[in-house]
Order: sequence, then structure tokens, then C-alpha cells
Amino acid sequence: MEILSVHDLSFDYATNPVLKDIGFSVEAGTICGLLGPNASGKTTLLKCISGILKTKKGQVSIGGKAVGEFSKKAIAGLIAVVPQCATVAFSFTSLQMVVMARVARLGVSGRPSRKDYQDAEAALAELGLEHLKNRAFTELSGGEKQMVLLARAIFQNPCLLLLDEPTSHLDFKNQHVILDMVQTITGAKNLTTIITLHDPNLAARYCSRMVMLKQGRVHRKGRTEDVFEERTLESMYGMKVSIENSCHGKCFVMPLADRGKSTLN
Amino acid sequence: MLRHAACGQRQIDFELIETADEEKPMRSNKIIFLLASIALCSAVLLAVSTGKYPIDFPTLGRLFFSLIGLEGTGNFPAQSALVLWSVRLPRILMAIMTGAALSVAGVVFQGLFKNPLVSPAILGVTSGANFGAALALLFGASAMMLEASAFICGLIAVSIAYQIGKRGDNSVTTLVLAGVIVSALFMSGLSYIKCKADPYGQLPAIVFWTMGSFNSVSWGDASRGGALILVGLLLSYLFRWGLNPMALGDEEAMSLGVDVSGRRACHILIATLMVAAATASCGNIGWVGLVIPHMSRMIVGADHDLLIPFSALLGGVFMLCMDTLARTLPGGEIPVGILTAIIGAPCFGYLLIRTKRSDWST
Repeated sequence: MEILSVHDLSFDYATNPVLKDIGFSVEAGTICGLLGPNASGKTTLLKCISGILKTKKGQVSIGGKAVGEFSKKAIAGLIAVVPQCATVAFSFTSLQMVVMARVARLGVSGRPSRKDYQDAEAALAELGLEHLKNRAFTELSGGEKQMVLLARAIFQNPCLLLLDEPTSHLDFKNQHVILDMVQTITGAKNLTTIITLHDPNLAARYCSRMVMLKQGRVHRKGRTEDVFEERTLESMYGMKVSIENSCHGKCFVMPLADRGKSTLN
Repeated sequence: MLRHAACGQRQIDFELIETADEEKPMRSNKIIFLLASIALCSAVLLAVSTGKYPIDFPTLGRLFFSLIGLEGTGNFPAQSALVLWSVRLPRILMAIMTGAALSVAGVVFQGLFKNPLVSPAILGVTSGANFGAALALLFGASAMMLEASAFICGLIAVSIAYQIGKRGDNSVTTLVLAGVIVSALFMSGLSYIKCKADPYGQLPAIVFWTMGSFNSVSWGDASRGGALILVGLLLSYLFRWGLNPMALGDEEAMSLGVDVSGRRACHILIATLMVAAATASCGNIGWVGLVIPHMSRMIVGADHDLLIPFSALLGGVFMLCMDTLARTLPGGEIPVGILTAIIGAPCFGYLLIRTKRSDWST
């Protein structure tokens, strides 16, 4: 069943258009990767889906109902966002960070109950993070921070999980640890997960579907095995690549030596 | 890694450990609050008894009992009753309320602006209040008019800053810049008034007023200003936990389901009311709103659930001690605003040196 569908969506900051006529849909229990070069509109698209940015044209619907019809609090119960790299000015503990997911269920003067704190602890424990609960979030490593933010997103109990470049500040191993966790949770809770990624190899490994963006438009979309091909990637990134098959039967993409000719974009 | 299937024995062990270290921070917080309350009580006792006209504890006791009707009125000098009732008590009350108001407003603004270096004056409330007071002094208005003028100009300054920020992109940065603009505007207005004021009567009055002092606080000031501050403190206490998600930043708070602009407007209004009321009745008192929130955060942590009540308590104690010191210094009383800066600035410098890097991640 299709949980998220984006239909004919356009968005612009002041005058320059960022997204044009974006349309795709994602089913429950799948991870969909958003790929594209810098400034192709990946993060903007994610913000349009989560309702942080208001779209002028087109619509995003969850379970067949337009996001605009839900209240802010109701959206927070449906969509959880794991932000890119959180810099927090104050040293909240990990437990305090996670329990903030409850804010949408509380009134203006509400504060979490003892039970909310216990549930937040359980959410940390579910990801194997109970040892971090009294540690200051600001003192955690990049990987631990991402894990705690993921725990908070899960604690929001959403049906749609959005991750904005969750691997961008992580080392080689932690990139895979966090994405393995996302994969496990997506399966276990039957979530619809959307991840923006810079590394097409990570996308090929973890995402069953892909939406490729170029200059604010959908360049190609579909099942990973259909769209993950040399010509598509080359035209999207504007560079020569080659897809190789490893001895374990997985395919991975490598840039072809073309030194001196490429320019930044 | 999903840990649903932990074996029975180990789970029990886990629970034992968890309850043990869960109660520890709770108990230590209770002790911290108890200590702060004891400090407040001792500061009040000290402030009541010392001064140009010292009142010893037995007299103080008799005065107290006569106040609640347990003893006759003849057992103590009438002068000490006058000093206590008309001079010291309103002053002490106002000092505590002002300290609490400035500290809580500091915590609120620092949380809203995600920056531990923000003071309650960030949106121009004190510049507005100074301008209003100077204006009233220029026209020779009564004490009550002066208070009203300072209060209203403080509110006007913040609402202009808020409107500029809102009509911009409604972000924290625009709001801070709008505060800088409005402050500059009202400061130049103040300078203009100073330049036009009579240099023998009005100018010294303006200068002394802006230094900040509890010198002339009466029951009238204490009840008017105190009531406004009390309302502000209660509302801030009620909405305190909501500051936690706000302190993560607009987009993150929004994605958690917080009505960011509504909540921010509400907190700014409450904090501004408190600071304007405090400034209108006692003048400019700096540094408290910057140092006390930071000290409180070091003691009870970043969670606003504890931070708001604790900073109110600590701010009250600090301000009362400063005021008692200001009026008992050998060589005559000095404005308390000078003292809070003399003691606050080095304290803050010390904290800057001592603070771990991770607390300053912005």
C-alpha cells in the first residue's frame, strides 16, 4: 500500500525555483533513497514533505490524505525527521533529547510524566543505547548523536521516517551501523523511510527504491535494480562512472579517471 | 540489536541498577533546592537586620510576633518597626523579585535564541525603559508616571523589534539584529534627552536612575512591580518544559510538532513584561540575567524543568546579597547596578575559562 505520495510538487525560494513538478510515491516497509548532486533540491524536498516548508503548487499526501489537512501536532505523529547534524547549544542529556518527542502530545503547559521518561528509556534501549541516557548529548560522538536522534524519531511513533543525510559526518563503519539500524527498524515497524544520501553505493545497498533529482526535477525514479545504471548516474552527476560487480554479487559504482576535466557544480 | 529477548535474570539486574541511579540525581536535586532555599532565608535574615540602623535578632523576633498578633506593640522601639516595615521589607521583596525576574528572563531568552550568551536586554527592553524614564524625568513627572513611562517604552521597544523580525524571515538572527537596531535607536534618544536636560537637576537624576538601585523602593513600587513580576514568574514556570524543544532550533522544534512562532511570541511577551516591570521600578541592573542562568545551568543542568525554578531562586539570593552589600558598604550606599557588574563580570570571565568546550557548541 502506498503511504506517501508526492504529486506535481513545485517549490521556490523567493524567485529562483528549487523544485519543479516532483511526483513519486513510496510503499510501506520500504526505504527510498533521494539522490542527486549538491543543490539539486534533496533537502528542500524533504522539508516540503515534512511540512516545514509550505508548497505553493502540488501536494504531499500520507495514506491518501493531504499533509496540509493535518494539524502541526498530527503531522508530528505521522512524520518523524532525523535532522542532518544537530548542534545543540545546551547540554541536554540523551534521555531529555528523546523525551522531547512527546511535545506534540502535551498541551502548552504540559511536561512529560514519569511514564513518558520510562518509555523514552525503553526507546533508547530498543536501539541498544541505554548506557547513553544520562550522558550529555553535546559530548556524544557523531554516530552516537545520530543514533539518539533516530531513537527520538522512533519514539515519535511515526509511519513516515525522514532522514537528511544521516551519514554525512560519520566514519565508514558508523555509516553502515546507522543504516543497518534504519533498515531493521523500517522492516520491524513497517515504516516508510526516505533518506537523502550523497553516496550512491550506500543507496544501492540499503534502498529498494530511488528518486534521483537533478536541478530540481526528477531525473529518474524506480526500483533500485532498474535505475542504478551507468548512464543514469553519469547524466545525473555529470561525471564518468563505471558499475562493477563484486565477487559477492553486489554491484557498486566507481568514478572513472577523468582528471582535470571535471568542474565543481 | 533490538533487545526484546534479554534473558530473565539479566533483566532483573538491569532494573536494580536503573532504579538505583535514577533516584540519585533526583535526591541530589532536592538537596540543591533545599540549600538554595536556606541561602535565601539566611540572606533575608541578614538583609533585615543589617544596615545603618541595625536591628538585633531578639528585637526582630518580637517585631515578628507583634506582626502576627502574638505580642503587644510596646516591647520594641517604634523606630525599628518603621525601618523594618516601611524601608527594608519592600526593598528586600523587590530585590528578590527583580533578581528572579531578570534570571528567569535570561534563561527564557537564552533558550529561545539557542545561545547561552544572550541577556534579557537582547530585544531592547532596557534601552526602551531607560528612554522612557529619562523622558519622564525631563518633563518632571511623578514617580508613578516615571514607572509607567519606563514600562511602556520598554514594551514598545520590544514590540518594534519583534515586528521587524517577524516581517523579515522570522528567524532568530533577524530578531537579534532587530533588537540591536531598536536598542541603538532608543539609546540615541536617551543621549538626546541627556543633552537637552538641565545639567544641575535633571541630568544627574537621569544618570542615577539608569545606574539601577533599590534605594527608593516603597510598598507601592513593590506591590505594583512585584505583582507583574509574580504573574510573569508563574507563567514562565507553567510553560517551562516547552522551552526544551524550542532550544533545539526552529526547524527541529517544528518537526517535533511545536507551534514555534506562537510559543516564541508567548515567551517573549512574558519575559518582557517581567523585565520591563523590574527595570521600571529599579532602573538598569545588568549582568544578573546573563550570569545567573549560566551558573544555574552548571548546577542543575540544561533541562528547563529544573532550570527555571532554580534560576529564580538563585537570582533572588544573588540580587538580595548584592543589594545588602550595596547599602552597607563603608563610605555610603552605591547603586546596586554597579556592584552586579563589578562582581558579575569577573564571575562570568571565570566561568568562561572554566567551562568545558562542549557547553559552547554554538
